[in-house]
Amino acid sequence: MDNTLIDVKDLKVHFFTDEGVVRAVDGVDLKLERGRTLSLVGESGCGKSVACRALMQIVRNPGKVVAGEILYNRGAEGGQAEIIDIAKMDPKGKEIRDIRGKEISMIFQEPMTSLSPMYTVGNQIIENILLHTNLTKEQARDLAIKLLDQVGIPRADRLVDEYPFRLSGGMRQRSMIAMALSCNPNLLIADEPTTALDVTTQANILDLMSDLQKSYNMTLLFITHDLGVVAEIADEVAVMYLGKIVEKSDVYTIFNSPRHPYTQALLKSIPKIAIKREDLDPIKGMVPNPFRRPGGCPFHPRCPQAFAECKVLVPTTTQLTPNHSVQCLLYENFANRIATEQKQ
Amino acid sequence: MTAQAPLTPTKTVEMRDENTILEVNNLKMHFPITKGISTRVRGWVKAADDVSFFLRQGETLGLVGESGCGKTTVGRCIVRAYKPTAGEILYRNEDGSVVDLAALKPDEVRPYRKDIRMVFQDPYSSLNPRMTVLELISEVLKVNKLESSDTIQTRVGALLEKVGMRPEYMQRYPHAFSGGERQRIVVARALITNPRIIVCDEAVSALDVSIRAQILNLLESLQKEFNLTYLFISHDLSVIRHICNRIVVMYVGKVVEVSDALEIYTGPRHPYTEALLSSVPLADPNGREGRQRIHLEGEIADPSNPPSGCYFHPRCQYAKERCKTDAPELRDLGGNHFVACHFAEDLKLAAVIK
Ligand SMILES: Nc1ncnc2c1ncn2[C@@H]1O[C@H](COP(=O)(O)OP(=O)(O)OP(=O)(O)O)[C@@H](O)[C@H]1O
Ligand SMILES: Nc1ncnc2c1ncn2[C@@H]1O[C@H](COP(=O)(O)OP(=O)(O)OP(=O)(O)O)[C@@H](O)[C@H]1O
Ligand code: SF4
Ligand SMILES: [Mg+2]
Ligand SMILES: [Mg+2]
Repeated sequence: MDNTLIDVKDLKVHFFTDEGVVRAVDGVDLKLERGRTLSLVGESGCGKSVACRALMQIVRNPGKVVAGEILYNRGAEGGQAEIIDIAKMDPKGKEIRDIRGKEISMIFQEPMTSLSPMYTVGNQIIENILLHTNLTKEQARDLAIKLLDQVGIPRADRLVDEYPFRLSGGMRQRSMIAMALSCNPNLLIADEPTTALDVTTQANILDLMSDLQKSYNMTLLFITHDLGVVAEIADEVAVMYLGKIVEKSDVYTIFNSPRHPYTQALLKSIPKIAIKREDLDPIKGMVPNPFRRPGGCPFHPRCPQAFAECKVLVPTTTQLTPNHSVQCLLYENFANRIATEQKQ
Repeated sequence: MTAQAPLTPTKTVEMRDENTILEVNNLKMHFPITKGISTRVRGWVKAADDVSFFLRQGETLGLVGESGCGKTTVGRCIVRAYKPTAGEILYRNEDGSVVDLAALKPDEVRPYRKDIRMVFQDPYSSLNPRMTVLELISEVLKVNKLESSDTIQTRVGALLEKVGMRPEYMQRYPHAFSGGERQRIVVARALITNPRIIVCDEAVSALDVSIRAQILNLLESLQKEFNLTYLFISHDLSVIRHICNRIVVMYVGKVVEVSDALEIYTGPRHPYTEALLSSVPLADPNGREGRQRIHLEGEIADPSNPPSGCYFHPRCQYAKERCKTDAPELRDLGGNHFVACHFAEDLKLAAVIK
C-alpha cells in the first residue's frame, strides 16, 4: 500500500465576483505523503492560500470548489485504507467539522485573525480540545499547558491565561502551533507561518516545526514565498503559478536542476548569501491581473523561452522522472495535440 | 580636514575625512512613555541609544537588526523627521562645509530636506490614495517652493521614465498600480529633489521576489547614474549582502558591529551578528543536514527597560560575569571593523560564508 495521506486531483477553486470569475486554483494535482513536508511556493496571488483552504473546505465567499477530488485516507498508517473525498463534502456539514482542527489543522497567514483577542490563549486551545475529544476541562487545561511548554513558551502555566495581544509575534505564532497540534493532526497546513517574524524567531520556529513533525510523524504542507525557507524545510516542492502547479519534485532536484522556465527564473531572481551577483535577473513583466489571464501557457508573456505554440496550447503535465513533473511545452510532445485540438 | 559649518556657528565641526558625507556620533532618540491623556512621563523608550557610524560618498551602507532595534528611528533622525535627544549628525555639503543636522531648528532644516530623502517601509500606506502620481511626486517641490509648476510636469515625466514607468501614467491614482509600480513611484518621489543621500527603509521588503529584483537593480543603476549614497535599512540579510558595501548591526538601540559587507559574512566579530547570520535561511538545500544553527534563547530586550551591562548578555552564549555589569564600548579592531563586545579579540565565531 502506498503512503499517500491526501491525493488532490485536478482541483479547481473559482471566485465568482461581480467583475468576473477568478480561477484562483485551476487544476491542481498534489500528493501529500505521510510524515513528509511539501512546500508550496509561488508569488503573491498565485493561489497558495486558496488551495490550502480548499483542503479544509474553508474557502471564503464568493469562492467555490468547482471541480476535482481531495482524496483523504483517514485510515491509520499501515492499516486498512479508508478513503473519503473532501471535495464532495458540504463545507458546513458535520463530516468536515469533525476533520477540521482535529485530523487536519491549519496555521494561518495572519495570526491575529485566527487567535481571538477576546479569549485567553489557553481557552482557545482548551476549546478545540473539548470539541474533538472526551477529555474533561481540567485534563484539557493540563494538555494545553503541556503543548505550550512543548512549543517553547516559557512559564506555560502562567502564559496559558494571557490574551494574545499581550504576546510577542513569535509567542503568538508558537501558541498557534500549540493550538494546531492540540488534537494530534494527521496533516498540519502552515500558511506563511514565519513570514511576519524576525529571522532569529523564524529559525527557532522552523526547527520547532521539524522536531514536532518527527515526534508526531505528521504530514506538513508548508506554504511560503521565501525560497530560503523552502530550501531549509521541504522534502518535496510544488511551484505554483497562476493557479497551476508548474513544477514538482524533491527539494534537491528543484534547486539543483529546475526544468520549468518559471522555476529557473525564480531561482535566478533571488539574492544569495554565498555568492554576490553583479546583477539580479528579474523576471520580466509581472503576474497578470487575475481577470486577464493569458491564453495558452499562463507563463508565456514572461517566459524567456516561449515559442509560437505557447500562445495557444495549454501545457499538460509531463513526467520527466517518477518524481519530477513539469507543465511546459518544452518538454511535451504536443504534435498530436495540435492536430486534434484544431479539429475541435 | 576641518570645515566651518555656516549654520552652526557655535562650534567647529570636524568629520573623519573628505570621503565621508554623513557622520552620526553618539546619536540618542528617547521617546517618553506616558499613560492615557496624562502628560506625566513614566519612563523612556531608548529607541536609539548611542548610535555611531559614518556614510561614505557613493556607498550603500546596510543597517540591520531584529524588529524594534531602532533602525527606522535612526533613519528618521537622519532626515530630521525626529529631533534627536542627543548626539551629532554631521552632514558635508556639496561645497565641503559641514553642518550638524541634529542641532538645527525646524526651519533651519528645510534646505537639507532636498538633499537627504527617505523611502518608507510600506508602499501601500506611504502614497496618499487621493493624489495623482504627478501630485505625489512633485508635492515636495511645491511645499518647499523649489520649482515653478510649468516645468514640474516635464521633470516628473522624465523621472518616471528613469524608474521604468510611462510618463502618461502621471495623471493616474496609486490604486491603479501594482506593488512594484508603487515602489517605483516612491523611488521617483525621493529622486525629484536631486538628493545626495537616500535612506531606504525596507524599500523592497513587501515585494515579491521578481519585483524585488527589478527594484534592487533600479536602485543600483540610479546610484551609479546620480552618484547617490544609500543608507539601506532591511532585516533581509540576503538583500543586504547583495546591495551593500558596508554593514551596521544594531541590537536594542545600540550599534554592536560595523564592518565591510563581506567581512560580516566571512568573519563576524560580535556574538549577536554571529547568531543573526546563522538564522538566515540559505536558498540552497545541499548540505543542510550538517548545518548548525545558533538558537537565540529568550526575547529581544525591551528598549524602555534594557538589561544591565551588555544589552545582549542574557541571550549571549559567550557571556561572562563582566558582561552583566560593564557596557562594552564600540571599539575599532582595525581595518574599519568596529565591535562592541568585551571579548571580540578572543572569540572564534562561526561564519556563514567559509
Ligand atoms: N475573496 C476573494 N474574492 C475574489 N478573489 C479572491 C478572493 N480571495 C482570493 N482571491 C483571488 O485568488 C487568487 C489567489 O489568492 P491567494 O490568496 O490564494 O494567493 P496566495 O498565493 O496565497 O498569495 P499571497 O502570497 O499574497 O498570500 C488571487 O488572484 C486573489 O485575488
Ligand atoms: N514615536 C515613537 N514613540 C514611542 N516609541 C517608539 C516610537 N517610534 C518607535 N518607538 C519604539 O522604538 C523602538 C524602535 O523602533 P523602530 O521602529 O526604530 O524599530 P525598527 O528597527 O525599525 O523595527 P522594524 O524592523 O520592526 O521596522 C521600538 O521599541 C518602538 O516601539
Ligand atoms: S559583551 Fe559579553 S555578553 Fe555582550 S556580546 Fe560580548 S561576550 Fe556576549
Ligand atoms: Mg496567501
Ligand atoms: Mg522599521
